[in-house]
Amino acid sequence: MFRNRRNAQRRGGSKNEGELYALTDLAEGEKGIMVKALGGFGLVRRLAEMGLTPGVEVKLLRKGSFGGPVEIEVRGVALALGRGVASRVLVKPSKDEHHD
Amino acid sequence: MSIMTKELRVALAGNANVGKSVIFNQLTGLNQVVGNWPGKTVERAEGTLHFKGYAIRIIDLPGIYSLSTFSIEEIVSRDYIAVEKPDIIVNVVDASALERNLYFTLQLLELEAPIVMALNQVDYAAKKGIRINTEKLSEILGVPVVPTVAITGSGINELLTTVIAVASGEKKLQPLKVKFGVEVEKRVKKLQELVQRRLPQLCEVYPARWVATKLLERDSDVAGKLKNYEGGTEALQLAGKLAAELEKLHGEPSPVILASERYSIASKIAKEVTIVEAPPRISLEQKLDAISTHKILGYPILIGAILAMFSLIFIGGSLFSGFLESFFGNIILHIGNALAFLPSTAQSLITEGVLGGIVAGITIALPYIVPFYIILALLEDSGYLPRAAFLMDNLMHKIGLHGKAFIPLILGYGCSVPACLSCRIMETQRERLLAAFVVTLIPCAARTVVILGLVGRFVGLHAALAIYIFDLILIFILGRIAFKVLPGEPVGLIMEMPPYKKPSFKGVLTKTWSRTKDFVYVAFPIIVAGSLAITALNITGFINYITAGAKPLISGWLGLPVEAGVPLIFGVLRKELALILLSQLIPLESLSALQMIVFALVIMVYIPCIATIAALIREFGWKKATAITITDITLALLLGGIAYRILLILMPS
Repeated sequence: MFRNRRNAQRRGGSKNEGELYALTDLAEGEKGIMVKALGGFGLVRRLAEMGLTPGVEVKLLRKGSFGGPVEIEVRGVALALGRGVASRVLVKPSKDEHHD
Repeated sequence: MSIMTKELRVALAGNANVGKSVIFNQLTGLNQVVGNWPGKTVERAEGTLHFKGYAIRIIDLPGIYSLSTFSIEEIVSRDYIAVEKPDIIVNVVDASALERNLYFTLQLLELEAPIVMALNQVDYAAKKGIRINTEKLSEILGVPVVPTVAITGSGINELLTTVIAVASGEKKLQPLKVKFGVEVEKRVKKLQELVQRRLPQLCEVYPARWVATKLLERDSDVAGKLKNYEGGTEALQLAGKLAAELEKLHGEPSPVILASERYSIASKIAKEVTIVEAPPRISLEQKLDAISTHKILGYPILIGAILAMFSLIFIGGSLFSGFLESFFGNIILHIGNALAFLPSTAQSLITEGVLGGIVAGITIALPYIVPFYIILALLEDSGYLPRAAFLMDNLMHKIGLHGKAFIPLILGYGCSVPACLSCRIMETQRERLLAAFVVTLIPCAARTVVILGLVGRFVGLHAALAIYIFDLILIFILGRIAFKVLPGEPVGLIMEMPPYKKPSFKGVLTKTWSRTKDFVYVAFPIIVAGSLAITALNITGFINYITAGAKPLISGWLGLPVEAGVPLIFGVLRKELALILLSQLIPLESLSALQMIVFALVIMVYIPCIATIAALIREFGWKKATAITITDITLALLLGGIAYRILLILMPS
């Protein structure tokens, strides 16, 4: 369903439209459109309540070192997601990417 | 009070990190009572204020992001709003994150709560280049919107005036009716009709439309309430069917569909009322944020911050401690002389027992605890703790917890009681328990007194440091074992990263004061009772029986002088009491370095003090509290004995 992670990460900004990536595959500063969260009822609902609903734009702010959490911006708020949680959030490339 | 005084009940509701408690403090000052919701482990803060002839009782609801069933806090909040029906809900909203905050506001509107909105942190939003058209927002939502800057108190008076205007009926609300998309709306209406018809009693408490929406969202709590009613099963069946239809249509679980719908309304409103002015420049806060969560730099900063915090506490603590000791030592001497007319038993009960206890509390505990609380409040109010949690997430996962658990752990170095209570920030009961268990193993300020006051002072700082490092290793191993033993899945981190803020002087002082007050109320009676009991034991000679009974364990297994038995037993009252009592029984210098280390080690690990046990019982019940206590005692004795034997070989004296 989503491509080899390392490969995607190395390629950074140049992602193919229509393909799905894990949130963790975004480069720092890169944006994506949330498509779906994989996981249990509780996790998916929680993410939705924190603003991560399908169709919303997310921006990856930074990745923690040693496989630590990622920080994202969604709906004007900064959220920290554990690497495990973030890898279950699928995104597609955002159209208006290199805006900043 | 005059007979004319009217009473009002006002609840503060809103997301975490929006300045809700700052508003609460502005309104109530130090005139507040913090307790628990009846039967729940959720903090309940209440205060009263008088304004324009009204006695206003203010309840600070927990900071939450939604009114679903994610946490007990959410259920407590919505039940309070629906069942207790406070006169006004003040919805505190962060102007710089309007969309996410409106998501919560919409749910308040769905509950048909009478709302006044406090649009807070308008100053910070302006700094970010965000300006909000409050008149328009008020018009759309149909409720008054008052811009506030809680930290400075600006807008608070107007907020109160508005609350009273609405409560007295002078100002009418025309709350927005939340309308979903066609497919959802159709099903909500269908379900609402059934709920109204078949469950009239339930509709007296909860709005029918709200019940219908919650059922469609597969809300387990509302579903549970329905079971008691005739007609409940019918409603549940219909809800299940309608939710399944929606899920098939959207390919998402129904709560996600409803959340999406609410967010699209929130987003639309936010866009309509927000004016983005200048493109935000990179602020100092953002720079600080980038450095303190930096991949590499973040860690030395974190370690530096913790080290700075402890050195400040120790330096400040020992300075104060010494000063207070000489001051109170003299006073006690004078009182002792003044009481010379009493029989010697009564004299020593008063001076050694009661006064000795109070002075020990003031001179040994407070000097370390007050600076800790000040620094803690600074860390909390500045927003650094979430950054620390971010950095530590990975490591905490190794013991089955996530980054947020780092917050109770840090608190644990101050006092285990608030640390145990703060385990509530963890999402599941399993994680709360795991975090609390780990917290009991963290040397609190009282245990630090023993480690530094005995080992640090007489053996050397390197030995004290070694004990701390040993403790961290122990925590890691035990945390890992507990993580494997406890059933259930670990939960990932989902945490808001609030922007950095300059802590306010008043806020830090208020927090420090109320925490210190709590500490004094809880700890001092115990210290005095313990000190009194041991003085009595000493006078009556009973102490010899205890000493003799504990001898095989204390001297045989742990290699300590027999006198150490009583302090170790009484250490359950307060850990620093153990050191105080030991020093009353034998000169501390008479212990060998080895004995000091073993004593400190046992004190560090064995049972959390009685106040912590009480906190554990309150949070987790008797069974789990007993299990943790027994584990800690067994471990302490086991480790103490083993350490004695190993150290005997390593450091022959």
